[in-house]
Amino acid sequence: MSDLNVKVGLIGKLDMLKFKNMSKTREKAIQAAPASEISGVFPVNENAKALHPDFLELTVDNIIVRNDAKTFVLKNKSGTPLPYFRAGQYISLKLPLDDSLVTRSYSLCSSPKDALKGRYAITVRANPGGYVADRLLSDMKVGDTVITSAPQGFFYYEDLRDEKQVIGLAGGSGITPFLSMARAICDGIEDFELTLLYGSRTEEDILFRGELDEIARVCPKFKVIHVLSDEEKTGFEHGFITAELIQKYVSGGRPYSVFLCGPEAMYKFLEPEIKKLGLPERRFRRKLIDVTKTPWECAGYPQEAKGKQFSVTVRQGPQEWHIIASSDEPVLVALERAGIKAPSRCRAGECGWCRSRLLEGSVFIPQENEMRRWADVHYAYIHPCCSFPTSDLIIDIPGEFY
Amino acid sequence: MPKYDIVVVGAGNAGLSAALQCQLAGRKTLLIEKHNVPGGAATSFVRGRFEIEPSLHELCDFGPADNPGDVRNILDAYGVKLDWYECKDCFRIVSRYSDGSPMDVTMPAGIEAFIDKMEVYVPGSREKMEQLFALFQEVLDGISYITASKGHADSKVLQADYPNMLRTGAYSTKKVFDALKLPKKCQDILSTYWSYLGVDMEHLAFIHYAAMVHKYISRSAYIPAHTSHQLSTAMTERFRELGGDVWFGCRAEEFLFRGDRLCGVRTNLGVIDCDYVLANINPDIIYGKMMPKELIPEREKKLSAARGRIMGGRMFTAYFCLDASPEQLGIQDYSIFLSSTADSAEEYRRIMGGTKTNDYSIFLCYNIANPDFSPKGTCVCSFTTFGAPDEWGRLSQEDYFKFKTDFAKKFLRNLKAKTGIDLTGHIEEMEIASPWTFARFLGVPEGSVYGYETRDWDGMMARMMMLGTDYPIKGLRPVGAAGPRGDGYSATIICGQLMAANALKDLKEWEGGNK
Repeated sequence: MSDLNVKVGLIGKLDMLKFKNMSKTREKAIQAAPASEISGVFPVNENAKALHPDFLELTVDNIIVRNDAKTFVLKNKSGTPLPYFRAGQYISLKLPLDDSLVTRSYSLCSSPKDALKGRYAITVRANPGGYVADRLLSDMKVGDTVITSAPQGFFYYEDLRDEKQVIGLAGGSGITPFLSMARAICDGIEDFELTLLYGSRTEEDILFRGELDEIARVCPKFKVIHVLSDEEKTGFEHGFITAELIQKYVSGGRPYSVFLCGPEAMYKFLEPEIKKLGLPERRFRRKLIDVTKTPWECAGYPQEAKGKQFSVTVRQGPQEWHIIASSDEPVLVALERAGIKAPSRCRAGECGWCRSRLLEGSVFIPQENEMRRWADVHYAYIHPCCSFPTSDLIIDIPGEFY
Repeated sequence: MPKYDIVVVGAGNAGLSAALQCQLAGRKTLLIEKHNVPGGAATSFVRGRFEIEPSLHELCDFGPADNPGDVRNILDAYGVKLDWYECKDCFRIVSRYSDGSPMDVTMPAGIEAFIDKMEVYVPGSREKMEQLFALFQEVLDGISYITASKGHADSKVLQADYPNMLRTGAYSTKKVFDALKLPKKCQDILSTYWSYLGVDMEHLAFIHYAAMVHKYISRSAYIPAHTSHQLSTAMTERFRELGGDVWFGCRAEEFLFRGDRLCGVRTNLGVIDCDYVLANINPDIIYGKMMPKELIPEREKKLSAARGRIMGGRMFTAYFCLDASPEQLGIQDYSIFLSSTADSAEEYRRIMGGTKTNDYSIFLCYNIANPDFSPKGTCVCSFTTFGAPDEWGRLSQEDYFKFKTDFAKKFLRNLKAKTGIDLTGHIEEMEIASPWTFARFLGVPEGSVYGYETRDWDGMMARMMMLGTDYPIKGLRPVGAAGPRGDGYSATIICGQLMAANALKDLKEWEGGNK
């Protein structure tokens, strides 16, 4: 090193002093500043918090009855604007029912524009035999308060990724995210062409018939084709949505993306039809549906676990519970039945909000809900919303904020 | 509620490191994290069939097993094990030299290879480059000496063994380059790394620059095989294995004091009694929102004001998952720095001018370093740049989604214009993280993952020298990118260990005093 003699300043010796005095220079700069109060408030952070609050406290502002469904118009309890969102996203409701504390997600069916006026709308359709939908339909009244998540989810149009022409495939109450998209297109918020093939049983059963037809009338970028499975009528397509029907409505041979949202049976029927279209994966997007109710029908299910009861030790911070879980239901359902404030949102394995550490025991995860990170699989983290117990468990769940 | 010796708040790189150090020292340690995953920026997210790395480009100071850097040594000492991939090239930069001529250079890792390649681009630069690397080495050795002396460095030893460090360390990198008479084109190429520290070459202390760049070039860079979520989860699970408690979904709301000494933390899961907190939180947030105002010393208010509450590196990153392989897309480089000038001060001004003037980005293709990063026939790429705080502060929710997409489009266009690589038509999944996103998930002011700018008087060495003076709250020390070592994975892992060591020393002293 002796041959190296770097001189930066005019006089070498002063440089050494400059090095030694770095702390003095720093202290001088600090002392020269005013001792003003530190607020800890930054506009960027305030924006982020307004768009992504921990939770929302909404009140039911209006209820619109439609056949066997109801649209609940929700407003911010504080009266202020609600977080903006991408048309197609959902909110997750936290509902205390009996001794349980359950989560259900519902796509917003209103335009993002209405959020700025402090309004969201969701639509709940009767689901005979189900636990939550029918209770909401019978019990929820104007003025009631409900805790929800902020809007989230990945089922929305992205112009860098998706083709300008989108063929929407909707079945039953799967219409709601598409209604929001149609409204967003109509309001000039989204810019793409949506051709919606909407499957219903009969003309009578079509949800939002009037709204959809009215948007299609005023907005040239939106078209709706009603597909009736149980009725043959002029002005309607008849049967199920097929590859042929999709191709019939593709405009001018131009590239298109397919978006799908509907009940589980529709997904199963459409899978081979979509394959026939020969689309690359990036041009087919579907909204994830709830985890299966019949895990024992899934490939790889350990049949000996079926119909069993297991004991689960649940830890959340300093707290601990001992509960019973059925092997036929996801771990999350056992937590909900026990009234434990367990985080969860999408209930499909996608959002990862319920990510928990499996400290002991084993679970079954259906392949279609396996969306964990590599290290989570490796280090035994599970998404309780789509993990079925196959032994006694000890799990450590995250805390909640509402 | 159990009582803990130490509560580490925030499981970012620094928090994880601090928690491991405390638990290894036999202290009953609790690690709390408001999110349901560890790591802060060291995490990942899944979209479709892809798992995406949100922040780590290149882990510095790790090195191969036979030439370990500080970070490898620290992780080894903690017993944290995972598999890594080496990033063999340092970088490619497509820009313009400061004389305006076009620049497209690719620099390899390894000191000799780096100097050789520089000679190709800048003939006649060898001698000066060798001098520069000799100077880097002296600076590194000097820092090691100062660190080992724990604040009692002997000035005679410094003057005898590290005279060039003393002569250069306090100056800006540009001043030292000029003094070395390093050819301007070498300076331009070498300035590429400025954005890793977020301070341009005219305001970045040479000692800080030298330490980082030498480590990148001599030991090359590494990435975990399965994103930085693997790193943070491996650290979390090792901490658990050592007997530490981890609570996810647990957010510190307020620090509690008995007199002037910390005695607990109020969280959404209850009040936790403890003797010490290591907080992976920016000090402005701690002082502004999380503790009694009357306990904040005047000097701390002055320190915050002197920094102008200006943060460094507010991240903007666009992630693209593509349904084509790197070969099909014509991607050969792991990282390409795309900018319009190699003049870092000018580049910094353009960035701070907002999305209209900012055309700086780092383009990365993870599959080049790790061919198994995504399913066969696909790859994952990202663009990273910085946001201007005023612009992202003023932006409305209504305009937000379009605004960030438009900004991302600019980088796709830039990439195509400068390299011919066209990603459009192959995007299967994508996500855009703006300063809002980083503010949301990390809680950092303005979405800055770099903490305070290590600029001028507030450089890394100056902060290190004043370790005992800054943040004098009894029982509470901040850790993280806002700390003495500045930003980056390596810096924050080291910072966590350093601050934990100080906390352990404090606890020991207090216990001694109580006897």
